[in-house]
Amino acid sequence: MSAPGTLRTGTTLRARAGSVLLLLLLVGGWEGYCRLAGVPALVVPLPSAVLATLWDGLASGFLLPHIARTVAEMALGLGLGCAVGFLAGVLLAEAEGLRRLLHPYVIASQVVPKLALGPLFIIWFGFGMTSTVVITALVCFFPLLENTMTGLRQVDPQKRELFRMLRATRLQTLLRLKIPAGLPVILAGVRVSVVLALVGAVVGEFIGGRTGLGASIIAAQGMMDSTMMFALFVVITALGMLAYQAAVLLERRLLRRHPSNQSTNQPTNRQG
Amino acid sequence: MSFVAIDGAGYAIGNGPAIVEDIDWRIGEGEFHCLVGRSGCGKTTLLKLAAGLLLPTSGSIRIRDRAVSEPSAEVGFVFQAPTLLDWLPVIDNILLPLSLKRRVGPQDRRRAEELLALVAMPGLGARYPRELSGGQQSRVAIARALVTDPALLLFDEPFAALDAITREELQDDLLRLCGRGGTTMLFVTHDIAEAVYLADRVAVMAGGRLCHDLRIDLPRPRGRDVRYAPRFTALCRELRRAMDGGAVAAMPLDAAS
Repeated sequence: MSAPGTLRTGTTLRARAGSVLLLLLLVGGWEGYCRLAGVPALVVPLPSAVLATLWDGLASGFLLPHIARTVAEMALGLGLGCAVGFLAGVLLAEAEGLRRLLHPYVIASQVVPKLALGPLFIIWFGFGMTSTVVITALVCFFPLLENTMTGLRQVDPQKRELFRMLRATRLQTLLRLKIPAGLPVILAGVRVSVVLALVGAVVGEFIGGRTGLGASIIAAQGMMDSTMMFALFVVITALGMLAYQAAVLLERRLLRRHPSNQSTNQPTNRQG
Repeated sequence: MSFVAIDGAGYAIGNGPAIVEDIDWRIGEGEFHCLVGRSGCGKTTLLKLAAGLLLPTSGSIRIRDRAVSEPSAEVGFVFQAPTLLDWLPVIDNILLPLSLKRRVGPQDRRRAEELLALVAMPGLGARYPRELSGGQQSRVAIARALVTDPALLLFDEPFAALDAITREELQDDLLRLCGRGGTTMLFVTHDIAEAVYLADRVAVMAGGRLCHDLRIDLPRPRGRDVRYAPRFTALCRELRRAMDGGAVAAMPLDAAS
């Protein structure tokens, strides 16, 4: 891994520089086209105006409570959804009868558009944070449930026999074999949930929020302020990328001993 | 009294055909027996019956005159794959059988280090499985099986995936290890030379039945040179003939000529 490391650092750097260059080109092209063709700001605002609005919003502190609210909803929903999804996944993976009983419902619940339940949650939990957290938790729940079930059930049969041979109890087999062995699959579920949590929080705020980035988009729409909407998109995208990177880092940290991790790891990030 | 006594043992899934049937076999205490046969002849199933991982659907299997009804603490099993836990360092992999039962103390760690030295990997306890070669992983698996001092050790083709040179080294290590204590061994393999080199007695299995039984009268300790002795070759040839005969059991007996 060390010999090709420097080589890979070079190619990764070049690839990153390429990505940045592409972004600059696209934004520059957008700015130029809008100025030359005189596109109205209501339809597509100028990137420079979006940046200025964004900077204003951050500097004046106007955006900060909204960001904080969305981050809080995301974190609470993600934590709640992942915890419940993980526990339910363990339960269904361990109790064969229960799994067979509930399997069709698990499948059905996968295809139900969870966000469509938002209006119902507003009736149940009222406007505000609770509804959004519940929606977010619900969308995070399923990837964790599914991946925990899959991860725990795909443990190498020979290792399971080893634990039988060593007369491990069921709990020991779960804690010391199945969960560590299934961790890569479970964490892949976390990564999916992180992305969905942001969608859940923002869309939840569309429906029933007064504060938060999603609620701000609706407010900006009401004032026909496309520039602000674009500024909010930028914030949401940045938030999503940060959360995703955090999930990837967590995954890499927890899985550094797993052999399957070698291929997914970018060695350059571990050498720094 | 035999250490392991298998009497008329058979195993079938549901009403399907028997995977093994009518097995009669005796292993004396401290003996090294090998079971050879082609893939799918039922030798792994027989081994799992002896381990208590499967229960015979007919006949009985007794160890120290007690019927085997579940995996026992005094029986160790070395699987086809090393089955090491990737997230634990080597030393904790070796200590796994102990740590599942009780808190591991410093003397246990010393013992694990000793075992590591015995399998020719001194000081590698802090490594992780993925940093080891295939042969080293097999060695760790053997050390793990030995850490509980089992009275009976069962091997399911543990060296099948290794290259020939590493395999011979591990065979020598295994002979050295079993020369120390009075551990009884039952070793399943499809490699005739491996069976002859290791065993006091070899059983040939075909179609779920034992079809041949050969006592290996090569002197111990056995070293590299034994592999090239005429007697070794003769025993291998005899086993090979028995395996061919076993495969065409329904044919007239002139198949050997």
